[in-house]
Amino acid sequence: MNPQFFGQAEAPLYGVYLPPKATPRDAGVVLCYPFGQEYMRAHRAYRQLALLLTKKGYHVLRFDYRGTGDSSGELDTVVAQDWVDDVGLAVHELRESAGVKDITVIGLRLGALIAGTACAARTDIERLILWDPILDGSEYERELLNEIANEKPSEWGGPTSGNLEAGDGSIHFNGFRLTRQFRDTIKRLSLRDIGQPRARHVLQVVSHETPAFVELKTMWCEYPGYRYQLSPAPHDWNYVDNFGGILLPQPVIQSIVSWMD
Amino acid sequence: MKERSLRIGKPTPLIGVASEPENFNPDLPAVLVLNSGVMHHVGTCRLSVKIGRTIAASGLLAVRFDYSGIGDSEPRRGALSFEESSIGETREVMDYLQKTRGINQFILYGLCSGADASYVSALADERVVGIVKVDPYCYRTWQYPLRYYAPLLLDVKRWKNYLFKKLGALLGKGKQSRSPNEIAGVEEQYFEVPTYTRRFPPRDQVALGLQKLIDRNVHIYVIFTGGEPEYIYQQQYRQSFSDVNFRGLLRVDYYPQTNHIITQIEYQQRIVAEITGWVAAISQRSSAQLTQAVA
Repeated sequence: MNPQFFGQAEAPLYGVYLPPKATPRDAGVVLCYPFGQEYMRAHRAYRQLALLLTKKGYHVLRFDYRGTGDSSGELDTVVAQDWVDDVGLAVHELRESAGVKDITVIGLRLGALIAGTACAARTDIERLILWDPILDGSEYERELLNEIANEKPSEWGGPTSGNLEAGDGSIHFNGFRLTRQFRDTIKRLSLRDIGQPRARHVLQVVSHETPAFVELKTMWCEYPGYRYQLSPAPHDWNYVDNFGGILLPQPVIQSIVSWMD
Repeated sequence: MKERSLRIGKPTPLIGVASEPENFNPDLPAVLVLNSGVMHHVGTCRLSVKIGRTIAASGLLAVRFDYSGIGDSEPRRGALSFEESSIGETREVMDYLQKTRGINQFILYGLCSGADASYVSALADERVVGIVKVDPYCYRTWQYPLRYYAPLLLDVKRWKNYLFKKLGALLGKGKQSRSPNEIAGVEEQYFEVPTYTRRFPPRDQVALGLQKLIDRNVHIYVIFTGGEPEYIYQQQYRQSFSDVNFRGLLRVDYYPQTNHIITQIEYQQRIVAEITGWVAAISQRSSAQLTQAVA
């Protein structure tokens, strides 16, 4: 694994590049993380997915958006478009450093919305994989607010999660603070608004079925390069415990690797 | 402050990130930020990044890295326990920084299993001059049952719950103990838990270890959260180690309102500030002691 900082000198992004471990293809994969606690919990699964893809000959780059992970900046100053731009920087970095032509972009949950938005603005992406995608930012915001509203209060005066919608309009959720500015800008992103995808091939892989997943399938099923795959697996990426346990949804990972092969 | 990625050791390097201060001074200790469980070096709620950057902004070099098999570091061959490998790999990072940056003193920070690693590594290596441990090993005192059970005995709601649970158990609905997988509700094949099983060593053994560290002038900062069920009042740590003469080198803070992974933003800010302030204070003292020793 080759850790590196790349992108703009004043706002470098952290990424880990993995070279192919089989006969190299002229193809690379950019992995876009979900957000917050989901990012922490998905790191292991992404590492495994990346490793399996290198064994199929792919160059892989997984990276942190600005204000997250090891990348520069603070979440407080980020807007959603920054993350969309960061996907572009990661694609450019992988093309330049690995010298590959075909690029696949994979995103999980909010990462799928970011990846889908980034790929809709360009015509040079070979494959797009949306894993349990969030269809739009408003839906994501509603999900967080519902979680907060339905959270059980701490019993016996014990510690709380600190999840709340603050007076300044920010959402505190599982240890991360989404500012009012971020909320406003993430709500502008929607896979519903991009019409047909522009990537040549699109895989929508889902670990379970929801009305939103089916809606996207209905919208895109006429697209010639589109495929829908249900691979039942656990999907609660926000699960937080004291054991540090993390999900490894093998059926989804295997489905992605098989499709890429 | 600027950051650079690190690959330490061959053939399977440990991966990390160094947060470098504007004016680097090798006479000051560097801070190593250790993994918590299987969480990678970014740390729970990005806390390790925040700690590393704040410490670098205060003038010290900070390095967060992944032990082998965790996060961005690939597994290494061998059959060492986590305790053994964590000592060896922490030393490896210290050796690297000593060789490449001329740093001779280190402060280790860790939460949960990271706290355990900071303690055993400090015992094994005299270059460690300070440790910050969040939710480390702790032990009950004679006051523990009084403080724990007295409020429960007076709580009607608890009694009701207790009776319902007992009734459930009598009807065969109770469970004696549950694995992490059962608690998560996720099948084992889709769920990874740390291979490191946390067991507190006997208290007397830890008391001896702490005394050794203090005799070496190692400064110790202990933070407990409300997420550690074995710790329930501010003075518990000092009382449980009343036989250790800490000589003013121990600081203990207790935050009962925050949880084990510190998800509340205000506590993240407060804890990062407290740790940075403590590190700055002891790094000046350690640096002065080192200068005196050399003179």
